[in-house]
Amino acid sequence: MTSTHVIDVERLHVSYGTFEAVSDLSLQVRRGELYALLGTNGAGKTSTLEVVEGHRPATSGTVRVLGERPDDRRAVRPRTGIMLQESGFANDLTARESVRLVGRLSGRTDSVDRVLDVVGLGRKADVTVSQLSGGEKRRLDFATAVFGSPELVFLDEPTTGLDIQSRDALWDAVDRLREDGSTVVLTTHYLEEAQQHADRIGLMHRGTLRQEGTVAELTRTLPAVITFGLPASAPPLPLEASSTGERTVVETFALQQDLHTLLAWAHDHRLELADLDAGPTRLDDVFRALDAD
Amino acid sequence: MLPIAQSELTQIFRNRTVLITSFLVPVAVSAFFIYQHELFASIGSLGYIAAIVMFTVTVFGLYSTTVTTLVDRRQTLFLKRLRSTAASDPGILSGLVLPATVIALVQVTLILVVLGVVTGGPENVALLAVAVASTIALMIGLGLATAGLTRTPDHAQVTALPVSLGVIAVASWVGITGTESLTLLKRLLPGGAATELVVGAWDGGLSLGGSLALLAPTAAWLVVAVALAARLFRWEPRS
Repeated sequence: MTSTHVIDVERLHVSYGTFEAVSDLSLQVRRGELYALLGTNGAGKTSTLEVVEGHRPATSGTVRVLGERPDDRRAVRPRTGIMLQESGFANDLTARESVRLVGRLSGRTDSVDRVLDVVGLGRKADVTVSQLSGGEKRRLDFATAVFGSPELVFLDEPTTGLDIQSRDALWDAVDRLREDGSTVVLTTHYLEEAQQHADRIGLMHRGTLRQEGTVAELTRTLPAVITFGLPASAPPLPLEASSTGERTVVETFALQQDLHTLLAWAHDHRLELADLDAGPTRLDDVFRALDAD
Repeated sequence: MLPIAQSELTQIFRNRTVLITSFLVPVAVSAFFIYQHELFASIGSLGYIAAIVMFTVTVFGLYSTTVTTLVDRRQTLFLKRLRSTAASDPGILSGLVLPATVIALVQVTLILVVLGVVTGGPENVALLAVAVASTIALMIGLGLATAGLTRTPDHAQVTALPVSLGVIAVASWVGITGTESLTLLKRLLPGGAATELVVGAWDGGLSLGGSLALLAPTAAWLVVAVALAARLFRWEPRS
């Protein structure tokens, strides 16, 4: 493993009895990047993440986090912050006591009040966890993960249950962490978040890593789509097209060029391309294509 | 370990139900035994009272609290959160059971001191201390094992019953009837040998060799309990 990789997974298998949740998965996370691990339901993301976080042993394969075995807590955890998918706090402790406890056990130093202010829980520092809303508990979870600005942060569906302002505040905090050099591993069902924030994305489906790359690299694998309506009497199109009901569909890897060709053709024939819709491939499209596989 | 223990202590004192059922009620029951010591001494002996109050506190205070606490912390994913830190598994478990252990030790010590003041002290204080320590260790081990078998905190009311009632029943049986008959059975049942040790330490008449022999069954039960706990204990709820 080179020092540029903070996570190195080689040929990971995770099985539960006879069921293989993760099969022959290899990935590397580079220092300083935000890597989003996405996938369909049951794709094996959680199993993969739990092995990398050190919560679950691998059935086979090698995993190194910051050069160490992920289950070597003493070596890894002082440098790692983990935001779990579900909050796991003691209901009778206050927000401040919860952050202080996890902070003391993390091996890192920081100001509890500062961290609570970052997540907008400064005014609720002395409120017990049982009295916090679901969104506030997620923010508390995030606070414990970023306590002490760890080198590596795992964010497991961090914005689930958060309102728009809280989400923005969370991503601002993540940006500041990254400016300080932290590496972030993200799982989320909000594809627009991955599209907006991730440097690289890994797409899992049925236990394997199907695609990996930047958003541009992933979306380049699928054609862009131009759709419009045409009268039945229209002459043949200058591009290959198909029909879906009353809509004509053109798939293209040269969106701008082909759109220009279509518009010029329509102008020449004095035709209107009804309800014209054209746009680049989005991550959603890549995801849907994966799920349809 | 200590930060976890401190947080557990805070939670104990904020949870009125745990405070009353696990800590105040056993003390109240023990106080009743001491108040009626002449009656209970005529049924068994003063050593029998010492054994019963010890088991009342350690079973309903320490053992039950250990089971409920560990299961609750598992169900709320608090154990998983603690394992997300640099704390080791032994450190986490030690921190979680330490406050209840210390409280039980203090309670048993105070209650036995009061009993001693009221009735006259035990014959062998050192042996009594060893008996109390071994019983506390046994209750922690049984608590860990039972937590492994228990799915939810509500389920703990069922899973903890056999040990709770069984140990108290054995302690009463041995304390009242002694071990002249069915000696091996009484000593091998959980709590039986510890009861005989406490009775002997309080009332007198135990040799050093006899004392050591009585520690063996308790130690064996502790080994069994820890082995079961290692096999059964789960850190996360079953998915």
